[in-house]
Amino acid sequence: MKVALALCCAGWLAASGPVRAEEAKPEAKPVKLTTTADHGKFKQLQKTFDSGPEVTKACLECHTEAAGQIHRTKHWKWEFLNPETKQTLGKKTVINNFCISIASNYASCTSCHVGYGWKDANFDFAKQENVDCLACHDTTGNYKKPPGFAGNPVTKDTEFPPGSGKIIKGIDLAKIAQKVGKSSRDTCGACHFNGGGGDGVKHGDMDSSLAAPTKDIDVHMDAEGLDFTCGTCHKTSSHDVAGSRYTPTAKDDKGVQVRGKAGSGNPATCVACHDNAPHKKEPRLNHHATKIACQTCHIPTYARGGIATKMTWDWSTAGKRDADGKHIVKKDAKGRITYESRKGDFTLAENVKPEYAWFNGNVQYTLLTDKIEKTEQRTQINKMGGSPSDGKSMIWPMKVFRGSQPYDPVNKSLITPHTAGNDDTGFWKNLDWDKAIPVGMQDSGAPYSGKFDFIKTEMSWPITHMVAPKDKALGCVECHARDGRLTGIQGVYLPARDNNRLVDTAGWAIVFLTLLGVIGHGTLRIVTARKH
Amino acid sequence: MKLIKTLAAGAILSVVAASASAYDADWKRGRVYYRSVCTSCHAVQPIGTINPSSKTKAEWAAYLKADKHAKGKDTVKQYVSKAYRASIKSGNKAAEKFADTPDQELLDDVAAFLTKGAKDGDSPASCN
Repeated sequence: MKVALALCCAGWLAASGPVRAEEAKPEAKPVKLTTTADHGKFKQLQKTFDSGPEVTKACLECHTEAAGQIHRTKHWKWEFLNPETKQTLGKKTVINNFCISIASNYASCTSCHVGYGWKDANFDFAKQENVDCLACHDTTGNYKKPPGFAGNPVTKDTEFPPGSGKIIKGIDLAKIAQKVGKSSRDTCGACHFNGGGGDGVKHGDMDSSLAAPTKDIDVHMDAEGLDFTCGTCHKTSSHDVAGSRYTPTAKDDKGVQVRGKAGSGNPATCVACHDNAPHKKEPRLNHHATKIACQTCHIPTYARGGIATKMTWDWSTAGKRDADGKHIVKKDAKGRITYESRKGDFTLAENVKPEYAWFNGNVQYTLLTDKIEKTEQRTQINKMGGSPSDGKSMIWPMKVFRGSQPYDPVNKSLITPHTAGNDDTGFWKNLDWDKAIPVGMQDSGAPYSGKFDFIKTEMSWPITHMVAPKDKALGCVECHARDGRLTGIQGVYLPARDNNRLVDTAGWAIVFLTLLGVIGHGTLRIVTARKH
Repeated sequence: MKLIKTLAAGAILSVVAASASAYDADWKRGRVYYRSVCTSCHAVQPIGTINPSSKTKAEWAAYLKADKHAKGKDTVKQYVSKAYRASIKSGNKAAEKFADTPDQELLDDVAAFLTKGAKDGDSPASCN
């Protein structure tokens, strides 16, 4: 035994000795600072994995409680009961005016679920191995879950869709599992940058430019500077990520969050770090901060990273075919898709000025069970609560996404069509609404009259990422002007935008009378001077 | 026989010990350095920006091995060196941020990013 030890030591010295001798000034031994465990050393991960659940089984051997924690979250359930409105929401239930809904399209949409195998309504939410650890803990950037595989990664080269000749390259799960670490902008972004089916499509303030952004794109996430990850603000505990689109914090009057302070609320707000009166040099601006969300001035435009966001989507023009009966794809000068037979017409934009609205954090969704009427006004997919006088609202920047989507004019409800899927009824394959709608509505468990029409809708997305450096925040005249950014905002008196006829008349009367007095006085002085 | 086994065990352990101290390249740090230092300079030079996806993994490996920048006028390595970073750090935040990173580690980081972002890499990447 002693001999063995001595040999080992000799071997180690032989291996490390010459390297040290070569260097004049030895560098410190590299230490991984982002993790306390090199997962490459764990036997459980030194094998071939043919599927995601096999990796999870290995993870759970040590991290015994992790899957149970995930099972409690919105990321897992895609279901959320809004305690204020009592509406049952979550991705599983809500409808939008992008790809419309996940019901009937699970295998495609669940590529962004933190699980494996959610291919239909019978998914087993209680099974621990169905949790996908790698979606959030991959550090290699190589972990991918292509749409169409129900959230499963592809481990062997696979032709998809079958018969298309397109090959999806298989990935080596062992390599990825051996390098797991903390979640990052890249892992969160794999789904959240691509909401709506592509880079930057949905949110406008989140796209792949935030993976390693410059300071101009986001002052906090600046990869060369503060380098915040998403989790720096969205402080996560027991795998539950803080912050929510369903119950946003529109007005945070709780001040800075101090460790240990009870009832602090949402840690992801600006106020949670910056307090309610953050402008030290210009106290006047703190007065603004009682009515105006920080984001309104500090995010002058969204989609600033060179990636366009979708602004409109007209489903009513979908379904056209070319002379040969094939699907059509049209692109603009920059190579961005503006028409697809599968989806209809789009418009896209970069560097977009937000629209502004009073917002109190209350969001009421139009769900499949809600009655809607086709009128001149657009149907609101999500009604944003707020008014100048409720004491809970602030003026917020919004991306307002406008579209036209199918609805049932007899039952007066929105429609959840079956779009994705390599089958006869999938709209994206056969472009036939009469097949896609009944199947989609049946999968949603909703009645369908057999008739469809298109209805104009809009959906609001509060803007909160892509915070600009302070010298790029809005100047006064952006709002304090006749046709400034806050033109449509009621309930506040905005100097230079607003006027009061009585005050204006009185003011101009004083000016006129003063002028008259000066001229009169001067004239009298001149006249009387000549007499002497 | 026992001695052979012991020797073998010693040899294996020494390999493990040696590899434990080997540097595990950080492609994300390479990404920031490549885009902030390499690209920021290339963008204003006549040659323009060079996307990692413009070369294959093998081409990048050969380029880094040859270590010839500007057709051999100088080396690639020097642009990743501490001395170079010190010379530009007043005007380049990435150079300032990584001022103390050992040369070989940063070179490995950049190489990892280029390999990953190459035309035939795992995630073909652009300059920005």
